[in-house]
Amino acid sequence: MTQIRMIKISLVIVLMAFAPFIKAETVIVHPTLNDLHLTKTTLRAIFAMRIPQWPDGTPVNVFVLDDEHPLHMQFCKSLLGMFPYQLRRIWDQQAFSGTGVRPNRVSSEAEMRQRIANTPGAIGYISDAEIDATVTALGAPS
Amino acid sequence: MKALLWLIASGFVWPAFAETANTSNTRLHWNGFASQAFVHTSDNRFFGDSDNGSFDFTEIGLNGSYLLSPRLRLAGQVLSRRAGDLYSGSPQVDYALLDATLFSSAQSTFGMYLGRIKNPIGLYNETRDVAHTREGIFLPQAIYFDKVRNLTVSSDGLHLYGRLYRDSGTWSLQGGIGYPIVDKNFEYAYMGQDWDGKIRSNDLAAFGRLLYEHNGGRWIYAFTGASVRTDFRASGADTVAFPAGPGLNSGNIDIDYSVFSAQFNGEKWQFTTEVAFQAARYRNISAAFEAQDFNSIGYYSQLSYNFTSRWQGFVRYEEFQLNHDDWNASNRARQNREESAFLANFGIDRSPIPAHAYYSKIWAFGGHWDVTPQWRVRAEYQIVEGTATLSPRENDMSQTDKHWNLFALSLSYHF
Repeated sequence: MTQIRMIKISLVIVLMAFAPFIKAETVIVHPTLNDLHLTKTTLRAIFAMRIPQWPDGTPVNVFVLDDEHPLHMQFCKSLLGMFPYQLRRIWDQQAFSGTGVRPNRVSSEAEMRQRIANTPGAIGYISDAEIDATVTALGAPS
Repeated sequence: MKALLWLIASGFVWPAFAETANTSNTRLHWNGFASQAFVHTSDNRFFGDSDNGSFDFTEIGLNGSYLLSPRLRLAGQVLSRRAGDLYSGSPQVDYALLDATLFSSAQSTFGMYLGRIKNPIGLYNETRDVAHTREGIFLPQAIYFDKVRNLTVSSDGLHLYGRLYRDSGTWSLQGGIGYPIVDKNFEYAYMGQDWDGKIRSNDLAAFGRLLYEHNGGRWIYAFTGASVRTDFRASGADTVAFPAGPGLNSGNIDIDYSVFSAQFNGEKWQFTTEVAFQAARYRNISAAFEAQDFNSIGYYSQLSYNFTSRWQGFVRYEEFQLNHDDWNASNRARQNREESAFLANFGIDRSPIPAHAYYSKIWAFGGHWDVTPQWRVRAEYQIVEGTATLSPRENDMSQTDKHWNLFALSLSYHF
């Protein structure tokens, strides 16, 4: 009995350990933006729509999925350490006071990848499995 | 041949045009909102004939933002706001500004806004008319007075801003000067009625807010300071000497306002508290007004819970005291009774305004459901003691009921 329980527990631990890799998401950018090393702090500022330009002068173009999209929720929590409603509140406060704009919304990961590949200065996120040569994947934020 | 040339030419032009359309797509942003509320009060009038049920609370807005260059942006919003007898709903320019980024890096951003700018006061003032950005159908009236909304909502001038992105959190500072926008509601709220003379704002007002978002906004703290001078120009019947008239002179009403804010944002629970201090000084208008200088305090604490990402409920307690040296206004009420008795000697009949007109204590319970990301339905119930949050424009303040409650429903859309 205790042995079965031990096996169950170790199975859960193993699954938990792998879960982040199974559904991992990565920040992707337009291919001309190479050599970027973004920290969590910078990523937060970018996705809060507070940084207008990349170091080379290109405008920052942020793309996101719907608030309730599982990948968006996971991206917010694991890479930004925020909840989707917090980003939504920042965007709405800026968009309705004239102090900023909302990010560009895409409806699927395929559209995300395509828009990022075709928009200079674009940044977004995608599941690891969806990454291809049309976009540049960034390492995990430090 | 001609057709071929056209074809070749359009072959060059079309992709270029498509390219422009594609980039202008990320340069131009449109947003809008519309909200309609139903308000029912047991007694007293709040946003129309609410004691019979009122639909006189409607907010509609449309805004645009256009990126001229990576560092220059134009933004503007037109707002139509109907709120009982206070606001008619005629469209107004809510803000219209040029946003210039002076410096930007991964560590910081500095810039300025020029034009009609929303004043950052507390956590909610800038977007106070956008239903989706509020916790309830109404903002806490103890701090965000709807009875004098226009005075603080935006001003025409220049603001500088700076943001520092640190690993521990983000620091934001915005401050500047501008001419506030005053209207008749100010006269009703600060001078009790609409006088023959006019209120103007010929002096620059100053606004500033320091805001710190710890750990991506898990905790938010803010301090706001504002200083406004308004000019009252007495005319006509105002200047007739007592006892035949009120005997008013031209003068000023100076207001200093400061707000302390704190907020916790958890996955399920959110807690917000804000406290505001206001010092109002009447200068030269009349001895009676100068005796009404006040130091008010308003505060609220609010606990919200996200049942799901679409269902949320909140409970809030708010309180406003017009004079914190005369808590619950018993001294003021006694003075009013003495004044009425004195005026009766001259045959002037004026009912004394009771103590409960100078404070408000409100318990609010409410919740919302996001039917879709665009549509939100809300319900709210308030148990109220006192009438300081009501406007003399909608109520005879000597005749209001001390204990009353409010029920409201609203439907809001935004894109």
